[in-house]
Amino acid sequence: MARRGRDEDDDEVEEEEEEEDEEEAYNLDEEEDDEEDYEDEDDEEDDEDEDGGGRPRKKGGGGGVRGFFDEEAQVDEDEEEEDEGEGEDDFINDGGADIPDEDVVRGSRHRSMPMRDEEEDIDEIERQVRERYARSSHIEYAEEAADVEQQALLPSVKDPKLWMVKCAIGHERETAICLMQKFIDRQDLQIKSVVALDHLKNYIYVEAEKEAHVKEACKGLRNIYGSAKITLVPIKEMADVLSVESKSVDLSRDAWVRMKLGIYKGDLAKVVDVDNVRQRVTVKLIPRIDLQALASKLEGREVVKKKAFVAPPRFFNIDEAREMHIRVERRRDKDSGEYFEMIDGLMFKDGFLYKTVSIKSISTQNIQPSFDELEKFRKPGDDMNGDMPGLSTLFANRKKGHFMKDETVHIRPKISDLPKTLAFNEKELCKYFKPGDHVKVVSGVQEGATGMVVKVEGHVLIILSDTTKEHIRVFADHVVESSEITTGITKIGDYELHDLVLLDNLSFGVIIRVETEAFQVLKGIPDRPEVVLVKLREIKSKIDRRTSAKDRSNNMISAKDVVRVVEGACKGKQGPVEHIHKGILFIYDRHHLEHAGFICAKAQSCLLVGGSPGGRRGNGMDTSDPRLGALRSPASILQSPGRLPPRGPHMNYGGRFGGGGRGGRGNDALVGKCIKIKSGPYKGYRGRVKEVTGGLVRVELDSLMKIVTVKRDDIADTPTVATPFREPRYSLGGETPMHPSRTPLHPYQTPMRDPGATPIHDGMRTPMRSRAWAPMSPPRDNWEEGNPASWGSSPAYQPGTPPARPYEAPTPGSGWANTPGVSYNDTPTPRENSYGNAPSPCVPSTPVGQPMTPNSASYLPGTPGGQPMTPGNAGMDIMSPIIGGEGEGNWILPDVLVNVLRAGDDGPGVVREVLTDGSCRVALGSSGDGDIMTVLPNEVEVVRPKKSDKIKIMNGNFRGYTGKLIGIDGSDGIVKLDDTYEVKILDMVILAKLAS
Amino acid sequence: MFFHILVSKLIKDVEGTCSGRHGFVVAITGVEDIGKGLIREGTGYVTFPVKYQCVVFRPFKGEILEAVVTMVNKMGFFAEAGPVQIFVSNHLIPDDMEFQSGDVPNYTTSDGSVKIQKDSEVRLKIIGTRVDATEIFCIGTIKDDFLGVINDPGAAV
Repeated sequence: MARRGRDEDDDEVEEEEEEEDEEEAYNLDEEEDDEEDYEDEDDEEDDEDEDGGGRPRKKGGGGGVRGFFDEEAQVDEDEEEEDEGEGEDDFINDGGADIPDEDVVRGSRHRSMPMRDEEEDIDEIERQVRERYARSSHIEYAEEAADVEQQALLPSVKDPKLWMVKCAIGHERETAICLMQKFIDRQDLQIKSVVALDHLKNYIYVEAEKEAHVKEACKGLRNIYGSAKITLVPIKEMADVLSVESKSVDLSRDAWVRMKLGIYKGDLAKVVDVDNVRQRVTVKLIPRIDLQALASKLEGREVVKKKAFVAPPRFFNIDEAREMHIRVERRRDKDSGEYFEMIDGLMFKDGFLYKTVSIKSISTQNIQPSFDELEKFRKPGDDMNGDMPGLSTLFANRKKGHFMKDETVHIRPKISDLPKTLAFNEKELCKYFKPGDHVKVVSGVQEGATGMVVKVEGHVLIILSDTTKEHIRVFADHVVESSEITTGITKIGDYELHDLVLLDNLSFGVIIRVETEAFQVLKGIPDRPEVVLVKLREIKSKIDRRTSAKDRSNNMISAKDVVRVVEGACKGKQGPVEHIHKGILFIYDRHHLEHAGFICAKAQSCLLVGGSPGGRRGNGMDTSDPRLGALRSPASILQSPGRLPPRGPHMNYGGRFGGGGRGGRGNDALVGKCIKIKSGPYKGYRGRVKEVTGGLVRVELDSLMKIVTVKRDDIADTPTVATPFREPRYSLGGETPMHPSRTPLHPYQTPMRDPGATPIHDGMRTPMRSRAWAPMSPPRDNWEEGNPASWGSSPAYQPGTPPARPYEAPTPGSGWANTPGVSYNDTPTPRENSYGNAPSPCVPSTPVGQPMTPNSASYLPGTPGGQPMTPGNAGMDIMSPIIGGEGEGNWILPDVLVNVLRAGDDGPGVVREVLTDGSCRVALGSSGDGDIMTVLPNEVEVVRPKKSDKIKIMNGNFRGYTGKLIGIDGSDGIVKLDDTYEVKILDMVILAKLAS
Repeated sequence: MFFHILVSKLIKDVEGTCSGRHGFVVAITGVEDIGKGLIREGTGYVTFPVKYQCVVFRPFKGEILEAVVTMVNKMGFFAEAGPVQIFVSNHLIPDDMEFQSGDVPNYTTSDGSVKIQKDSEVRLKIIGTRVDATEIFCIGTIKDDFLGVINDPGAAV
């Protein structure tokens, strides 16, 4: 017997009926064989039962031949299976029950063995029928079988195998019937079933244990050639042989289909009309018409056939056609009553081509029109909603029916008044999203993208992508709710989104988008964004090195520092540096919509702003080593001293000076500097000095992200290293606050005096904190521009300044509020951070010192002049403002010898008095016997003492002390104090020659 | 003294940050408790557990906010309410407002009476939020009653 697929033509059924007649004839002749046949029938039923229960594998081998009617039933069943799902008769239903206890059936078969003739059979039949119906209580069970149980039904190695046998084309069914008959006729055939599939020409399937059995069965059949090959169907594919193709979707109007043939192959079409009887469908297409060719053809000219040419789809324009002298008829369609333009037998309407084709020439399954196609289909002015019913059919047919049970979906409504469950046809349902939902696209072109729903248009969602900030249109069905945030895939191989990679041709760039097979890379060409699409293999390697670069003002820029582009195409953009390579920065600006927010710029055309956001991000580096952080983002300190971590270097220096200058200061000056290790196991490495302890130096290696301890002798300063010359200013900072300890103003003076002052006592930090609260701290600018990175800590205080006051109060820094003349406003521009103006940030700091030594305040503007500076000393510059903050302004004192730089009056002079406004009164002449004049701080310069000169210490712990310079060691001076006869090593910078 | 150091450090590290659970930390209002410090080996730094109170800002769905427009493009406009960035898609802008490109891209009603451009102040309703570790991003709508421009810098001049 034959099993066939679902869509069957009427004529085939007729054919089959004829075959049945034949069988009848056989049956009548073969009554004697009843008993054994009975067995077989039982067996066969058994098998059929399995089919009913969803087991695709088997089909009853021979038929039971108890009589014509039985046979008739057999055939019936056969037919019904063709429409499986609709007309299940008892036979099949019954079958469903059998699966769980197949053995029982087999058992019953054995019980029936002793039966001798049909008369005695009747009881047995009755019994069996009962048994069957008794078993039918299992039906539900079987039908509700879970997927796992279904899996268990799949054929295993123990089951009979399926063999594919070649037979004459067009005689597949016949062959199957013949084999069935043969099975009925001859008891020795050991095949189990025969299957002919409608869609498979030239082959039938035979189920049997052994190939020999199949051969035996096929022997002598005229439709199977003796030499025919018998192929084993692999177990895995067995189920597929008998998979039920999902029921052809009832083609309805407005359904989307695709053409299978002709020049429109693959094109999307919309069903306009369905003629089920004639199996024809009228579809609406975007015509691919070559008007030129058409015109030529109509005029009877020879048309050159260009096979390869397929006209692009384009809406048909009557006027255009008329211009080409193509006769356009306007006709009314007989059936629909609508008017069409007719050209050469083609029907057009509204620019669409209406075409009537056979149902077979279109595919209706799994049509997933892309948005482009739908957009095209939508004529301008058309409302998308018009297509919505069409879209819904889209989703109705998307599932590949694999023993589809039912299309009804039961829903448990959330609204309490509704009944417990509601049943809907699958077609009537679609996923529901609200604007604002965060979703992820799980299939379709945009697969993997995430975003928030902005708008819902029927089946279509408009999503704002998280990463690209662009609108994406997707079908609701392709989307699930998710809190995940990705652009889709973010990684292929070793390379991940936003990695810096080296490309084949030695160029480099940042991955800004990961597509299914390739990466979009923003190349490292400044000012001209160039995006290339590269394949995985075209990427040479990932650039992981942590490098740094110098900005326009020679500030060191490291990854994560916030910079602003000051020139070039991206001028004004600002954001944290994500990658640095060969002096090119990749900056992430979240306001930049292109290239995933990445901007590529030369380091030289950028300026460091704000601070290292490291602290905000919990970057371990910054929190664990504030000094380093400070060094890495010098500008931040200049602009907003408050951001300097409280535990600055001052502690260090304060302690050192307090400790009586133990250790070589030269070594300490190393702290924070870039050095190269010149010998030892780390030879050749570069790094920053983090700490100096005696002869050992702890160095953070640039390349290894590791801190190692090396001998002092093993390191060599790199050219970028600051000369130690300016280091004293550093220490000035540390010392100054101590100095005021002498003034009664300060409550914490006592600890200050303690030479071994512990860092905690270091008054230094307090003023800094006070500045942290400064309402005017420059990063505010950044904040106003909405850059989150710079929305670091200090600006955040602004609203909270009042509560901050308590912290400020006890600090000397609070004094600044009383000096209106000085303001941080003066220093916010990065320009001033640059070296030349470096001292200027000191200016605002002066007030800190003012309350302590009002005298010195008058000198403060003189700072730049008085300060011999070493250009290019970035490392030190960084620190200087901080120091300045503490008391740099204090360092001109009365009685010191200065050079007056004012035009016309230049020459040596002696400071007589320091005025409160920062200027000072100077008596001209090296002995101070000339005219007394008032000069601005920037017009005087302290005279550097020489060996054996009397000096005055202008800063630090010993500010105001006088002494004698007994020696000079590089930038250090060896000073013998007048008061105590102690010998101190102090930086030359804080020493001023005393007027003789 | 020491307390102050810790507090300022805390303020520096915490204020202005954003956590998914609590939102933006706007200001620290008080420190409840400072626990015992733990010295970190090798570095000499000390870690303290600090319990503090603070003002946080976390936008919620459905919340009405006033925000300043920071950028306008054809897809909609971005606005900021304090630290929070809000995007208003053109689908969520009333239909009668059209995008006008040019030097100052803006959305304008057909009669020109209402204009949204950079620095305009708008009242909007948040319809969705996305919370990252370091950022909160919202989408909002002005397509509702009583929403829209509340102060137009262009008009004021």
